[in-house]
Amino acid sequence: MKEKWRQLMEKDGARTAAASVISILIGLLVGCVIVVISGLASSNMDGKSVWDGVRLVLGGILSTGRDASGSLTFGFNPANVGNMLFRATPLILTGLSVAVAFKTGLFNIGAPGQYLMGTAATLIVALSIPTSAVPSPVVWLLAFLAGILAGALWGAIPGLVKALLNINEVLACIMTNWIAANLVTWIFDGSVWRNLEEYGKTNYIYKTSVNGVVTARAGLDALFPGSQVNWGIGVAVIIAILVYVLMTKTTLGYELVACGSNRHAARYAGINDKRNIVLSMAIAGALSGAGAALYWLAGNTEFAWQTYQALPATGFNGIPVALLAASNPIGVIFTGCFMSMLNIVGQQITSLTAYNEYITDVIIATIVYLSAFSLVIKLWLSGRKKRKAQAAAAPVPAPAGDGKAEKGGEDA
Amino acid sequence: MTFLIQQTLLYAVPLMIVALAGVFAERSGIINLALEGIMIFGAFVGVLFVQLMQQSGAFDGAKADGNWLALQGLMLLAMLVTAAAGTLFSLLLSFASVNLRADQTIGGTALNLLAPALVLFLIRIIANQNTLYIDGDAASWFMIRKSDLGFSRSDNLGFLGETFLHRVYLATYVCILLFVVLSVILYKTRFGLRLRSCGENPQAADSLGINVYRMRYAGTSISGALAGIGGFVYALTTANCSSNGDVAGFGFLALAVMIFGNWKPLNIAGAALLFGLFKCVAASYTSIDINGDGVYLLAEIPISVHFYRMLPYLITLVVLAFTSKKSRAPKAEGVPYDKGQR
Amino acid sequence: MDSENVIEMLHITKEFPGIIANDDITLQLRRGEIHALLGENGAGKSTLMSVLFGLYQPEKGEIRKNGQTVRINDPNDATALGIGMVHQHFKLIEVFTVLDNIILGAETTKAGFLQKKEARAKVEALSQRYGLKVDLDARVEDITVGMQQRVEILKMLYRDNEILIFDEPTAVLTPQEIDELMATMKEFAKEGKSILFISHKLNEIMEVSDRVTVLRKGRYIGTVDTKDTDKQSLSDMMVGRSVQLEVHKEPAQPRQAVLSLRDFCVPSKAHKRNAVNHVSFDVRAGEILCIAGIDGNGQTELVYGLTGLEKCSGGTATLCGEDISHASIRHRGKNLSHIPEDRHKHGLVLDFTLEQNLVLQRYQEKRFQAKGFINRGAVREYAGQLIAQYDVRSGQGPVTAARSMSGGNQQKAIIARELDREKPLIVAVQPTRGLDVGAIEYIHSQLVAERDKGRAVLLVSLELDEVMNLSDRILVMYEGEIVGEFDPKQTSVQELGLYMAGAKRMERSGKEEKGA
Repeated sequence: MKEKWRQLMEKDGARTAAASVISILIGLLVGCVIVVISGLASSNMDGKSVWDGVRLVLGGILSTGRDASGSLTFGFNPANVGNMLFRATPLILTGLSVAVAFKTGLFNIGAPGQYLMGTAATLIVALSIPTSAVPSPVVWLLAFLAGILAGALWGAIPGLVKALLNINEVLACIMTNWIAANLVTWIFDGSVWRNLEEYGKTNYIYKTSVNGVVTARAGLDALFPGSQVNWGIGVAVIIAILVYVLMTKTTLGYELVACGSNRHAARYAGINDKRNIVLSMAIAGALSGAGAALYWLAGNTEFAWQTYQALPATGFNGIPVALLAASNPIGVIFTGCFMSMLNIVGQQITSLTAYNEYITDVIIATIVYLSAFSLVIKLWLSGRKKRKAQAAAAPVPAPAGDGKAEKGGEDA
Repeated sequence: MTFLIQQTLLYAVPLMIVALAGVFAERSGIINLALEGIMIFGAFVGVLFVQLMQQSGAFDGAKADGNWLALQGLMLLAMLVTAAAGTLFSLLLSFASVNLRADQTIGGTALNLLAPALVLFLIRIIANQNTLYIDGDAASWFMIRKSDLGFSRSDNLGFLGETFLHRVYLATYVCILLFVVLSVILYKTRFGLRLRSCGENPQAADSLGINVYRMRYAGTSISGALAGIGGFVYALTTANCSSNGDVAGFGFLALAVMIFGNWKPLNIAGAALLFGLFKCVAASYTSIDINGDGVYLLAEIPISVHFYRMLPYLITLVVLAFTSKKSRAPKAEGVPYDKGQR
Repeated sequence: MDSENVIEMLHITKEFPGIIANDDITLQLRRGEIHALLGENGAGKSTLMSVLFGLYQPEKGEIRKNGQTVRINDPNDATALGIGMVHQHFKLIEVFTVLDNIILGAETTKAGFLQKKEARAKVEALSQRYGLKVDLDARVEDITVGMQQRVEILKMLYRDNEILIFDEPTAVLTPQEIDELMATMKEFAKEGKSILFISHKLNEIMEVSDRVTVLRKGRYIGTVDTKDTDKQSLSDMMVGRSVQLEVHKEPAQPRQAVLSLRDFCVPSKAHKRNAVNHVSFDVRAGEILCIAGIDGNGQTELVYGLTGLEKCSGGTATLCGEDISHASIRHRGKNLSHIPEDRHKHGLVLDFTLEQNLVLQRYQEKRFQAKGFINRGAVREYAGQLIAQYDVRSGQGPVTAARSMSGGNQQKAIIARELDREKPLIVAVQPTRGLDVGAIEYIHSQLVAERDKGRAVLLVSLELDEVMNLSDRILVMYEGEIVGEFDPKQTSVQELGLYMAGAKRMERSGKEEKGA
């Protein structure tokens, strides 16, 4: 058994996956500990509600509510699973957005802004072209493309300032996020897309279903009754596979990854590094925009347009999705589902206990924190033997510290 | 004008102190992207502390008597508590960056996600809503008025007096004092010299017997303390002493101020004032009467409120565009230091 | 001479994961002697000194000072024992002033505040006494390499060190500066300080040292009195076989100019002046032209400007009859291949596999891709062929991560990739830096073979031995300008040194234009 484990850990992919699983487990553990401590410290919770909280943190996806006696019941809950897939759709795409940028050496913390711009563009197109004149699938497609385009353009901005002016993309992304938040509010303020018909809904934009533009659900609603799932999840999976092919099989992917791993060497080889930085951020933005488009085109949710004070969590949660998947596009499909599962868990906790959904955000943050040193976890997993080999392979008299070599090329 | 200066200072001072927080971390070699998160955490702890004090009746008497010295003492105590909270929170970053050689950008992002999540989780449990308020007008308890200083309400203290002695917060001046003292420490003391050497060339520092790990812990801890204080001061002076798991990107603006100020305290003070002015214009452009003639110039220009709200971020981006070529970050920032690899 | 040992390192063994850097090494340093430590790159010299300086802890062995066993856990302990070290790569804070650098770690303070006045007086006295001229208020980034080294020496003196370690101190100096350093070292020894001098340059060791200890591949080979030995036997001890340091080559038969630079200028990043200032020369087919000079005199920028990594700000570069002064890097790559100075920065994408690195410029060729999709099979086959032909050794062949390869094999991979592109001009920048003798011989012979095939080779080197042995023509670069042109057969290292240090310059303008 031990031998088999060691053999498995020889494989880099297996180590990465194991490191992610460990991050998840520790994240859940931290969540449970916080539930227990805050429960015990709070005067209006007893041991039972603490225990309920812990059980829901760990198995909320299987929660089926409470029975007559007030005890939690568990079992397969098709509505939960369906909703999980529905919510995973945008998360997979924002996760891909962050992952593509990571692969090319950029940290796309701008996914929330790109997501918002995609949202605005999608909603405007989906609500503006009358389906009486144009077939609704065509409008759907146009709205989808508009979301992608808006996200791409918004993502290209930090890419441009990074490439041309060498501004740190993290700061540029943060600024464009807040600019987008204000811009979207500005666009919708006083517009005709606000829901003026229903009382008290002026803070919301119409659902796209008002114009008859809705993502197909053919069959999926029967499979997961009571849920919001639609074929957007299928589109997301297909996009993930396309991204995988792009990054690993094509010359464009080769260039992007070369630029990401070592911008200097890429330039040396004649690759246009500036173009690739912009391109990579534009692709990242397009993916976030696509995520927004697929979410809102479901036609079952109203968009609160006063976004200037808060950025959409879906964008930020792309970061843990990508990190957990070690930026592997196929892995993102699964980690996206895991994150949306946590989301469902949060809902269950809020509705069934005195706790609230923010506990899942704590878990997510913990997982991101652990991902920051996943390399250490991987090293630890591979054991001493592997470490030896790696160090031996490193050139002995040559300067160590590759980060440094890439940064400025100075000898250490 | 008085209003403009006071409002600008209200925004500029937390920016300045948090930007200095960034300087201490980065000069020691750690990129502290978590300033925003630490501010959020500091604001929460500070507000919670004031609320607990209020509930325990610790200063009801002082409030009733108008004993402003006792109230100021309480506020200083709250600042101390937030500094401790900020330090504690920042240890998560230093532990990951120094001991585990983590990616500092991701580590900082994690803390930025963790702070609002944890704070909102706790606020919901404590207050059963999304914001932690203090009963009553907490901000005004801590505000110093000329009556507190022994003047009568009708005394005119002149322009300087009205601007800097009336309707001000002690926290503002404490922060300015801290800023000056820490800047001197950074440049004139052994500790400062050694700290800066770790952000530039940790291998060299190590070869001279300086403990790089300890210096980086020290830098990040000071950073955490300052950001914690900054968060509380922000909550106290601009959010009426409430906490809702958000400081509206202030921590990130502070980072921009730090870069704009080229990691140097004096430039940072200037940059913070500039940004404070923009923030102030954005927040209260309708009530700014620049030359005192009763005309609210900015409100009459037909520019959308959304534009003003967007302005600080837009300007940050533009400013970064113009300064990034010249800017000179500490050379070793963001690079984990590994004793084994020289 | 007093033969008492101040420092004894007995049976030191230091292991790194997978490699034994020091295997049972014993070194005894007498008071007042200059003791040379000789060995090739990777022989374990620097590791041994790092052990003595407290940067590494040995697995086995002990260190004695004046007969007493001591433990040196960190540089603080070393300093307390009076041990100081000038590192091969200077340990200086570039943005600090010279004075701040000297006092850092040994500051005089009052209530935590720095007291720089006393420090300044002490440093000035030391600087005067030993003739180590430095500008205390200049920033280290603004001063010359020679002065930086003097700062390092003053750092040791400021700490009153009695045992001075010099790790490859001459690599960055001009021959004249080296003479000065030797004199200073002898002065120290006369005063009773003990010096450990690490080098692989036999001339210097013969000139300055009293005794020599030789290491080879982490092992102790022996200690000899300098006066009882000669260069050849030291060299044999160092490499374990007789080496022929001469490069075998026929006289060059240069033909037409492949590359012509006229008034070529490249701006500097560090200051306002041009890093390369109105440089004109030709490189002809069938010759190896070498640019010699001290590091930092514009050689790097010249290559950057020529290959397109940096924009040129004036003049023209003509390659194979075409003006390429402002062409893209890829376009220039059609006629030149470039063995870069820094293999980790420019030469390789360390996270890529070996095979991916071997097609770094060629992945776009029809042979390796179709409609934007990379043809893995073709890449693998090509990589296998290059690996066999150039004897690139790696753990898993074509799919080895470049990061995990040894420095020598990384360099071989780059050489294989660049030479196999078969371009008329080969720009090779310090192609043998940090490699062992075997690899150096191999690379030299490859470059000569390329020359004999009629290619033009532009070699940039800081090693004068390499310059003298390999080149057919030498240009010396000083402060961004070409200050002299030489035939290696009719010049000496000393003469080159005078030009490299800017003490002499030759009028050669207009000469090349006639030829072109």
